[in-house]
Amino acid sequence: MSSKPSSIPLIPSVSQSLDVSALPLPPEHMDASPRSNGFWGMAVFLVTDTVIFLLLLVANIYLRRYSQGPAQGALDPGTTIWFSLGLWASSGALVLADSFRKQAKVSGLLYLLTAALGFVFLYGQAQEYLKLNAQGATVDADLFFTGFYTLTGLHGLHVAFGALALLVTGVLRFRGLLDGRREGFTAALGLYWHFVDAVWVVLFLLLYVWGGP
Amino acid sequence: MTTAPVPVETASAPLSRPRNLTRWLSTTDHKDIGMMYLALGALFFLIGGVEVLIMRLQLARPGNTLLEATTYNEFFTLHGTTMIFLAVMPMLLGFSNYLLPLQIGAKDMAFPRLNAFGFWLTAFGGIVLYLSLLEGPPDAGWFAYAPLSERPFSSSLGTDFWAAALLMMGMGTTLTALNIIITTARYRAVGMGLWKMPLFSWMVFVNSFIIAFALPSLSAALIMLEVDRALGGRFFQGGGSPVLWQHYFWLFGHPEVYIMVLPAWGIISEVIPVFSRKPIFGYEFVAGSTVAIAVLSFAVYAHHMFAVGFARPVNLAFAASTMLIAIPTGIKVTNWVATLWKGSIRMTVPMMYAIAFIVQFTFGGITGVSFAVLPIDWQLTDSYYVVAHFHYVLMGGTLFALLSGLHFYFPKMTGRMLSEGFGKPAFWMITLGFNGVFLVQHALGMMGMPRRVYTYPDLPGWGALNMFSTVSAFVLGLGLVLTLINIVISWRIGRVAGDNPWQAWTLEWATTSPPPKGNFVRLPPIKSSRPLWDLAHPEDPDHQRPTRHDQQGKGHIRLEEKDHEQ
Ligand code: HEM
Ligand SMILES: [Cu+2]
Repeated sequence: MSSKPSSIPLIPSVSQSLDVSALPLPPEHMDASPRSNGFWGMAVFLVTDTVIFLLLLVANIYLRRYSQGPAQGALDPGTTIWFSLGLWASSGALVLADSFRKQAKVSGLLYLLTAALGFVFLYGQAQEYLKLNAQGATVDADLFFTGFYTLTGLHGLHVAFGALALLVTGVLRFRGLLDGRREGFTAALGLYWHFVDAVWVVLFLLLYVWGGP
Repeated sequence: MTTAPVPVETASAPLSRPRNLTRWLSTTDHKDIGMMYLALGALFFLIGGVEVLIMRLQLARPGNTLLEATTYNEFFTLHGTTMIFLAVMPMLLGFSNYLLPLQIGAKDMAFPRLNAFGFWLTAFGGIVLYLSLLEGPPDAGWFAYAPLSERPFSSSLGTDFWAAALLMMGMGTTLTALNIIITTARYRAVGMGLWKMPLFSWMVFVNSFIIAFALPSLSAALIMLEVDRALGGRFFQGGGSPVLWQHYFWLFGHPEVYIMVLPAWGIISEVIPVFSRKPIFGYEFVAGSTVAIAVLSFAVYAHHMFAVGFARPVNLAFAASTMLIAIPTGIKVTNWVATLWKGSIRMTVPMMYAIAFIVQFTFGGITGVSFAVLPIDWQLTDSYYVVAHFHYVLMGGTLFALLSGLHFYFPKMTGRMLSEGFGKPAFWMITLGFNGVFLVQHALGMMGMPRRVYTYPDLPGWGALNMFSTVSAFVLGLGLVLTLINIVISWRIGRVAGDNPWQAWTLEWATTSPPPKGNFVRLPPIKSSRPLWDLAHPEDPDHQRPTRHDQQGKGHIRLEEKDHEQ
């Protein structure tokens, strides 16, 4: 048993004693999926995002039981559904845009349309916030509204971020500046946008429609 | 066996190292980012260490007046946060970043720029945390129990800085985990099936899934806290539920322990076989039990909340799951010891740290299981026994593994050996110092000394034990300083290492030290988890060896070094 490194029997290291360069294999990797890195990366990211939304929802549902303020009744799902439809329609526009892109047709305008519908949603949400605040349904008014604003606000941030990215994508595509190397980015953005829309379905049902526990 | 020597462009010719500041700032090479994480971790370890030495000075004597109560609170908040998020985690991510692509034979991570972004998020998070010093540092503890962390009880902006910093760092860590998952899934070299990956890569891979599920829980909690603090929300106050904070915090906080300890286990699983000259005993069990731990780590979180007063069945369920998690952990310890068994052991510095790790980690694990026994927890929670326990796990386990890994991989990263002349005395100072600090704290806890107190009365024994703890802390600190000196000196004038100074058999040792950009020019064929062994021993490759089910052959107790010394 040796104690100093210098007394470790000095055997030439592997790559010195073996001619690794004579080996035929260049470094290659296994690639199991035809989808891009960007797509899968976004998929993992959205899993983490799902956990955040889920935990905030659980908090809201749990705390609603102790709510004593103006509560859910102050909401107006009839109005909200209109700008929600805008958001959901944007997913349709995006599907179209993606299929145009895959057929190498001009898709820039459709991406811009998707972004625009996203901004419509944000406008509607801003109006809704103003109205609610005017009625006294503020963040600090009530347990329900603390959760409500947190959830819808976080979702709104997601929409804003995605709409901006779509805007940029649309403009770049329009001007033919996004080449094949950027397909991964577009695929990731598409997945993200559909996720954000899907989250809104859940939020709309649980916050606006469902009466609570 | 081919023996024609390759022209070696090793050691002194660092091919991928940026040479000036701008290149460090803009690098996307996983090795550079890995080393930047290590440097960041070391820097903050130093800061967190100085903080704790001041705390220990305050605690050296009963009724001491060096620090005020609030200042002490700020110190332990910064110390805990710094050590966990800015010292240990960055260092672990550093090793993960550096080693994972090398071990799986990849050129880089799947998203090199995202990788750099993750690092900078972490670094800026650290800056934000310490910017709070301008506004009054956070003082609610690294666990920030609400409503203690709410505006009325913690009115300076410190807690807001703290939350912002943690959100940034959490984001950075999550993105890195995502990167690791995709890299491992898609960038393994041809032939490297999941069950042929080196154990470090295995554990880092599984660990990334824990990160992906645990850190969002912290983010959710932080968002809620900030809605409360900044917008007057009511999640945890004004009718909201303080226990909700604890649920979400510990749903992150307990898995966090495994986030820190899994890569540490990975390092140990690389070091022990190499210096025992044997393959790891029970590779499949060491790797597979990791998955069980990943799942269970979430199932036990409420063992931090036994004192909250849940219904009995809830408490019992979490007590049971906590004891259960000791099983896969025990499997690992058993496998390491079995690897040592009849090995031809070389007592190098990395090996010494690895052995100290096993002893201390096991001890910390046992006190952990003792907490799963409800009456014991009710008695000892929030006492110094807890402080002793988690430091045995985090410092005696994780940090010792990091030191082991540092001494093991330093030659690969820099092309030079660390000096053992410095390394061994430093090891003894760190080990004796560490045990001196924390062993006595078990006793203090059982004698009733509460944690998170800035001072204590002069009860029999308390003063002496605390003084002993403080003196040991300085011995420990000195050992760490010696290690730092060793690093600086050896990096400049250390013995040139060569590609594979320890004769290890995994892929990272098949390239130069330090590796060039792109990592490999050629890769050996990968048929087992030790491709270099197969290459060096075509007459007896791993993939044709008797498996662990076959008791006939020489199996796992063959002493490879003897075979290998021609
Ligand atoms: C130089 C060695 C260290 C010493 C002497 C030391 C000592 C201490 C002391 C005295 C406290 C305050 C306990 C209390 O008042 O409740 C503390 C808290 C803490 N330390 Fe360390 N520590 C060291 C290293 C570390 C490391 C390496 C880590 C992380 C891996 C760490 C993590 C923590 C945490 C998380 C807390 C907060 C505990 C709580 O929840 O109250 N420490 N440490
Ligand atoms: Cu725990």
